[in-house]
Formats: sequence, C-alpha cells, structure tokens
Amino acid sequence: MSKLLVDIGSTYIKISSSNGVFQKFRDFNRAILDDLTSKFADEIQRYEKDEIHICSSANGGLSTLIIGLTNSFSLKYATNIAFNSGINIIDTILYHNIENSPVAGELLDVVIIVGGIDSIGGVFDEKLFSYLSKLNYSNIVYVGSKKDREYLSENIENLVILENIITEKLKVNEEPLKEYLTNLYQQDIVGKEDIKELYTLSSNQIYSTPYIVNQSLPYIDANFEVINPFIVIDIGGATTDIHYSRDLSRDNMVIDSEYDRLVFKKLGVYKSKDSLVYAAKNNEFVYELLNVLNVTENILEEESEQATKILMQLSIFLVLCKVSIHTSLYITLNMHLLKSIVLTGGITKVLSYDEVEVIVQFFYKKILNTTAIPTILLDSNYDIWTLGMKALGEKDVD
Amino acid sequence: MTLHQKERQIIVKNQYVDSFDFDEIEEFIRSASKDLFISHKFKNSDTTLVQPRGGFPTYQKQFELYEEFEKADIDVMPLTIDSHTRLNDYGSAKKMLDLSEANEVDMLNGYPLVNHGYRTTRKMTTHFNRPVSLRHGTPDARLLIETALASGIFEIEGGPITYLLPYSKNFPLDKAFLYWKYVERVCADYSRLNEPINRESFGPLTATLVPPCVTIVIQLLEMLLSLEEGVKSFSVSFAQSGSVTQDAVMANVIRKMADFYAKKIGIEDATINLVYHQWMGAFPRNKEFSDSLINSSSFIARLVRADKIIIKTRDESFGIPTMQCNAQSVANTKYTFRVLKGLPLIIDEEEEENLTKEVHSIMEAVFNDSADTLWRKVFNSIKNGIIDVPFSPHVINHNNVITIRDEHSNIRIIERGNMPISDDCLTYEKSKVKLSEDKTAVINKIIEDIGVMHE
Amino acid sequence: MYKVVTGVVGNDIHVVANRLIDISLQARGFEVFNLGVNTYLEEFIDAVVETDADVLLISSLNGEAEGWCRELQFLMAEYELKDVTFVIGGNLSVGESKDEDLVKKYQSYGFDLVFHQIELNDGLDQLEEFLGKKS
Repeated sequence: MSKLLVDIGSTYIKISSSNGVFQKFRDFNRAILDDLTSKFADEIQRYEKDEIHICSSANGGLSTLIIGLTNSFSLKYATNIAFNSGINIIDTILYHNIENSPVAGELLDVVIIVGGIDSIGGVFDEKLFSYLSKLNYSNIVYVGSKKDREYLSENIENLVILENIITEKLKVNEEPLKEYLTNLYQQDIVGKEDIKELYTLSSNQIYSTPYIVNQSLPYIDANFEVINPFIVIDIGGATTDIHYSRDLSRDNMVIDSEYDRLVFKKLGVYKSKDSLVYAAKNNEFVYELLNVLNVTENILEEESEQATKILMQLSIFLVLCKVSIHTSLYITLNMHLLKSIVLTGGITKVLSYDEVEVIVQFFYKKILNTTAIPTILLDSNYDIWTLGMKALGEKDVD
Repeated sequence: MTLHQKERQIIVKNQYVDSFDFDEIEEFIRSASKDLFISHKFKNSDTTLVQPRGGFPTYQKQFELYEEFEKADIDVMPLTIDSHTRLNDYGSAKKMLDLSEANEVDMLNGYPLVNHGYRTTRKMTTHFNRPVSLRHGTPDARLLIETALASGIFEIEGGPITYLLPYSKNFPLDKAFLYWKYVERVCADYSRLNEPINRESFGPLTATLVPPCVTIVIQLLEMLLSLEEGVKSFSVSFAQSGSVTQDAVMANVIRKMADFYAKKIGIEDATINLVYHQWMGAFPRNKEFSDSLINSSSFIARLVRADKIIIKTRDESFGIPTMQCNAQSVANTKYTFRVLKGLPLIIDEEEEENLTKEVHSIMEAVFNDSADTLWRKVFNSIKNGIIDVPFSPHVINHNNVITIRDEHSNIRIIERGNMPISDDCLTYEKSKVKLSEDKTAVINKIIEDIGVMHE
Repeated sequence: MYKVVTGVVGNDIHVVANRLIDISLQARGFEVFNLGVNTYLEEFIDAVVETDADVLLISSLNGEAEGWCRELQFLMAEYELKDVTFVIGGNLSVGESKDEDLVKKYQSYGFDLVFHQIELNDGLDQLEEFLGKKS
C-alpha cells in the first residue's frame, strides 16, 4: 500500500509520496488545511484517508519551565525527560534561587515541579506559590517527593501529580513523566484547531515530528551509511534539534534509549533569526568563518537567499560549538569519537554537501585541532522521517 | 558493497591509521600459517596452554618480550593494550608512544596497537609464528579488532558485559552491545577463510567475591551473543575462586551449561574451550609466597582440565613485571604441567546440582524478558538487577548481592538482591555459612575474605 | 536512622573500598546513598539536598582530593547546609605531609571529620561517636 507522508513544520510543509519528496514554504495567512490542500492538491487526491500520515512540529512545540531542587538530579532528570518527550523550549529554575528568578512573560504550556526523594518532605513552601502566581501557564505537573503532594495540591489549582522522577536510590524514573509530556504534546497538536482539521484528510494518528525522528534513530545506521556514534541535526525555522548517541556524553543516567535529544531555542533560522545572529556575533570564530565563506559580516543584516544560506551554515557551526568542549553550557559531547553527522530538515533542501562540509571542517580544525572529520550525510529526501513513520507503523501493527 | 562493509570502511578511516587494504587482509588471513590460530592449537593439544599477560609501548620492547617468551616455549603470546587505546584516545596514545620511543621510558601500560598499525604488528606475529591473544578492556573495540585481525592476532578477548561492568562507571551498556556485535560479525566473517577466530569472554569480572552463578551466566550470555553471529570457536573463562572444590564445580557446570545453551539456540558446530585465570585478587608482597600461590593455581588449572591458563608473576604486588620475570613464570608453569600427572577428577554432585539450578533460573529469567533480541534481554536483565555483579562501578549495576566465604573458602550468597534464584538455593547457600549476629563482624569477615591470599 | 551520602571523589576507580564503606555504613544502621566512584563535588552536595542527608562522607584514595574539595565552603553556603556533618577519609595527601597539617587543611575546607589513612572501622566508630555527641 503506498503512503503519503506529510510534515507540517513551523516554516515548511513537506510531503513524501511515490513521486518523490517536495517542500513548500507555509503561507501563514492561511489555515493549515487550506494551505496544504491548495499547495499539494494533486498528490493528496491520489490517496485514501488511511494512506495519508501526518506529523507536525508547527508552532515550535511546547514550552516548559522546570523548577527543581538541584542541578545534578531534579533539573538534569526532568530536562532529559522533557527533551526526549519532544518539548522544545525549556527554562529551568533552581528552587533556592526562586525569589530572584525572572518571570516569563509569555504563556507556558507546562510547568514541571520536581525535588526531593519520596522519604523527605517540606521541600517547597510559600515562595513557590508566590512565584507561580506571577506565571501564565496551561498545565502544571508535580513529580517530586511524595510527602509534599498534599501540600502542593492544596495550594496549586489543577496540579497533576505523577510518580517521583527521582527514585529512593537517586536514579531516574522516566516513564511516568515522559508519557505525560508526550501525551500533552499530542493533545496540543490535536487541540490546535487548524491541526484538528487535518483529520478530515487522514484517518491516522497525527504525531509530533520530534517523536517521529526519535522513532527512527535506532534504525538509522542499519539503513544509511551512518556509523555510530552519530548526531542528527535538524535545523528548523524556530529551533535547532540535535539527537545524539549517548556514548558521546557521560551523564550517569540509565535510560532505555541509546539516544538523547537537545533543543536550542535560539538557533532557528527564521523565527529565531535575531537570536541566531546574536549568538553568531558572540562567537569568537564566526568572523573567521565568514571569511572562509567569502562574505563579510554585513551578510548577517541582509535579507536574501544567500544570507539565509549563510545563516544556516552558521547555525550548524554554532550548534557544534554548543555541544562541544568549546561552550559546555548544556552537555559536552566527545566530538573526537563522533563518526557521522546527519543533517535533516529544511536545511537539506537549501545547502549542498560541500557547503556543509566546509563548516564541519572548520569546526574540527579550529575547535578540535584536527583535519579528520566525521562522515556527513544530508537527509535531503527526508528518509529519516520516512524511516520513523515506518517504525511507528510497525509498532502500531503489533 | 553491503552496509556492513561500508561501515567497516568508515570505522578504519582514522587519522592515526594508515589505509586498510581489506582485500590484502583477507588474502593474508586465508593463507596464514595454522600456527597463528589458537583455535587450531586447542584442537591439537591435550594439555593446558600457557599464556601470560604483557604489553609494552614500543615495537622493540614488545618484540624483546616475545623473544623471552619464545625461550620459555610459550604456548600463546599475549598482546595487552594500553589504557588510552581502550578509551579510543589514539591522540594521547600517540603522544605517549612518541615519548616512550624518544626517552626509552614506558609511558604507556600496554601496546598501542592502533597507532602501530597492522602492517608493523604483523611482522612481529608472523616472525614468532605462535598464536597471539588480544587483551584489553575496550567498550568500543571496532577499530582495535579490525587492526588486531589484520595483524595476525586471531584470538580476541572481551565482551560487552565483561569489559564494561568491572571497569566503567557510565559507558552506555546498550551501545557496548551494539559495538561488540560488530566485533562478533567481523570475527565470524574471517572465520570462514581459514581456521576459526577464537573469542574469549573475560570471566574474572570484578574478581571480588563474585558468586559462581553470576560468572557462569555472564559467560554463557556472551558466548550466545557471539555464537549467534556465526563465531565458531569460543572460550568461557573464570578466575580462581579461592576454593579448590568450588573451582572444580564451576568448571564442571560451565562446560555442561555451555553445551546445553549452545544447543538451545541451535548451534552444534562451535568449539567451546575453558580458560582458567590464576588468582586475580590481591597478591602477597612476599615473592616466595607468590610463587606458591601461582603454583597452586597451576595445579587447579590442570585439576579442572582447563584448555588454557592465564598466569601471573611473582611481581604481581609490585607493578608491571620485567620480561625475564614474566618469562620465568611461563617456564615454571610449563614445568609444573609437565610433572603433574595422575590428577583425579573432582566431582561434587550436591554443589553442582545447586549451582546448575541457580544458573538455569537466572538464564530462564533473562530469556523470559519481553525484548525481541537477546542483547536487549540481557541489557534489561542487568538493568533490573537480575544479573548483578558485586563491586561493579557501573551505574546500571544494582550492587545488592552480598557474598561471603564459608569455612572452606567457597563463595556463598547471603543476600540475593533481585537475582531470581530460588529460596531453596538461597537457603542452601546460607546454610554453609555461620553468620555472626554482629553485622560489623560480618563486614570484617568480608574484608578478610577479599584479601584471602594475603600473607 | 541517619542518612549518609557517600562516594569517591575525582578520578578514583577504587570501587571495592567504596562498596565496603557502603555496606559497613548499612551494617551500622545508616541509610546509604552511594554515588559510586568518579563523583564530583557538586553531585555530592546535590545528593545531600535531594535526600536531606545528615552526613556527607567523601572518600579520596589517591591523594588528589585537594583539587576537588576547595569549593565545598561555597556550595555549603549556597544551600545552607549547616546541620550536615562533613567527613572526608582515605589517603588525602600526595607526598609527605604531616597528619596534623592535613587535618587542619581539610577542616579549613569545611570538613568536620578528617581521616587520613585510618582503618575503616575506626573511622566509622569515630563518626558514630561524633554524631552521638552532636545530638
């Protein structure tokens, strides 16, 4: 049975059919169903409802604030679970700093409160409620010490209570929170009016795109010339996603997946263009890199096809810096062990192999002092996405 | 080219390595002298093969070491790899190798095989024309093994469990399983060309009061994971436990279980060998006492009819032995084997029955895991504490099993953690030990038990 | 029941000692949270916070604790851990330092009890005595 796969991104709509893979910029003045059907009418008509599969990362995904007791346990565990559930924006607050923490202006999709093993109590107090009262959020979930459940329920409306993500032995308990967040993302997608309408085209469950990519990861090396350990970089309009093999980092967590996910909210090339440019200007190698690319820094202020290309190249370089020893803000990956880099997403339809290779070479030369680079694969046919949908399809059959 | 072949091309492409000529390597292995294959030697030997450990940074010194071993008429040469190489840090290995060569000081605790390369190393292995065994401790050994096989090293020690749980705190175990599958496949592929490549699991594990059932289960699982990929010659191993009877019981049970489980997955044409490690715990500082300990180990190896013994030296307490000391130990062991005749076979039915039950119940629990591949069943079992190695530093290991020695120095389980051994078996184990009421006294006994070979 | 967070600081792979300390503490009735080998100071402090532990017992067996433990005072202040008993034990010196000098040095880093090359049981006896007096 042939399938039509549709991915509604924050910037592009992509389809994959028996005729090939196509992508078009979204028209934000139109509802998604309208936009999709007018752009790809011919393709859509050739398929039955059960042959059409849709996934979406529209609106840049869910945003989260995590309030936790410590960096090494509460925040680390909750952040890892949130990223692996498809959450895109994560801000964190250490509870003992809460009084001095800034208050987010925009609406948060979910607030996660975590801290303390089950046998202790009295972790949280008035300071928490006072802070929460200044926030604007749609959902709030508590995954901390059992003993504080009652107290928090009494003081926080609509608080969802789940199992502690920290076990009595200080290990991570990921399933309950992961399931909740994944479902939340699902509901969010489905809840958006214009996504809901898409069910008139397809009788299949609509999934979030990060979920799909995640499904594909264990199969990538068996299907492509990709060698473990590898990273998959998805540079989008709003954010940049990076999936990496867990043996590139050492975080003492025992989880069931061989891969982890990180998202950089300030490195999207459209919606987050300003923050991308800002990050670029603050990187000491960028001017030299622009030189290598034969452009001046004025390109950063331009609005042209070439400027977009340069920005995409910069975002590749910046994301590699962010996960390497150069800027150890998030995770530090051992890039010397990296064997393959896979690029996916809209960027693969814009950049050529050479345009990517020059960046990777520059990174390895400047940051790691070596001329050897990992293999590079441009997933320009969205094979990874197709692989993920297939893996999901097989799961459903079971 | 298949994806596996493409993968191999990429694995061997490394700035510290000269290009690999796979066609040439295949030709080399196909026409290699049978004397290089330990699998061939096992088939044609009726005694216990003697193998020491040893690796020096420079080619010259490694060559010298082999010359000393040759004088002692060694059966199997070792090639012990340095710690930087084990962590895939070929850059540091190269730096240290250069320093070692320039200053004639050993800046590495083993031979940096990847930096030396297969062309150079092959000169040495073919010159001495004896089987070489690769000893390391590498979670991601893909490039290392490609280099070893191309060098004429046809025995590869290690496995995803045995080379991870005793040494690593947090290398992801699931990745290790994947990387070792690659190793098994490559060994299996090359095994079709000439005599089989031999794989050997690292039975000693943490070498600290490891209960026999855990050792045997892990040996069996690494064996099955290897046989699954087409490896045709595999060595299970264990270290001297401290009790002669327990060693004999372990040897008898592991042989039976290896046959049983190989058949269970439909493999009837693989050769399974048994390897015995001399005492892997703390050695006496008195060198004469060390000699006695070593000699008693050799006795036990013959008693249990091990196919190979991995020996120690009298310098064990003091660091890396000199070449002469190491070679002397080889010669001593070979002498002992020559004069040790008429050894009885020890059988203890009650002990063997209990141990067999324990092994079966753990293996059953592993096979019953809901995962669809054997490696993931094993991964889940370790994650769930069904397999639990005492004194492992790894974050995934539960560390809930407690063991202590009985009056005959047998290692007995007094706390089973999540291991699915029956109440009867646990009662049997505990019945052999008279535990003090005072918990601190129990701990002190455990400390003594660990250092049981001290003077 | 007192709660203890323990582990080995820095790049030590002395897992046997770590495990023996773990089971010895358990035998003496402590609830133990063992972070294992190769543990960083921040992880130790964070574990104390998450478990509301009474004691932090850091082992350092190859004499390199010094480079790791200087930030202890700072982290103690951050999290207001005044009631916690800080213990360090093992082989604390690189080279020939006098025991009294070592003890003073580590006490200045914020450790209440400093055990340099002491037998495990003696150390734990002293710890129990100290805790008894404290309460």
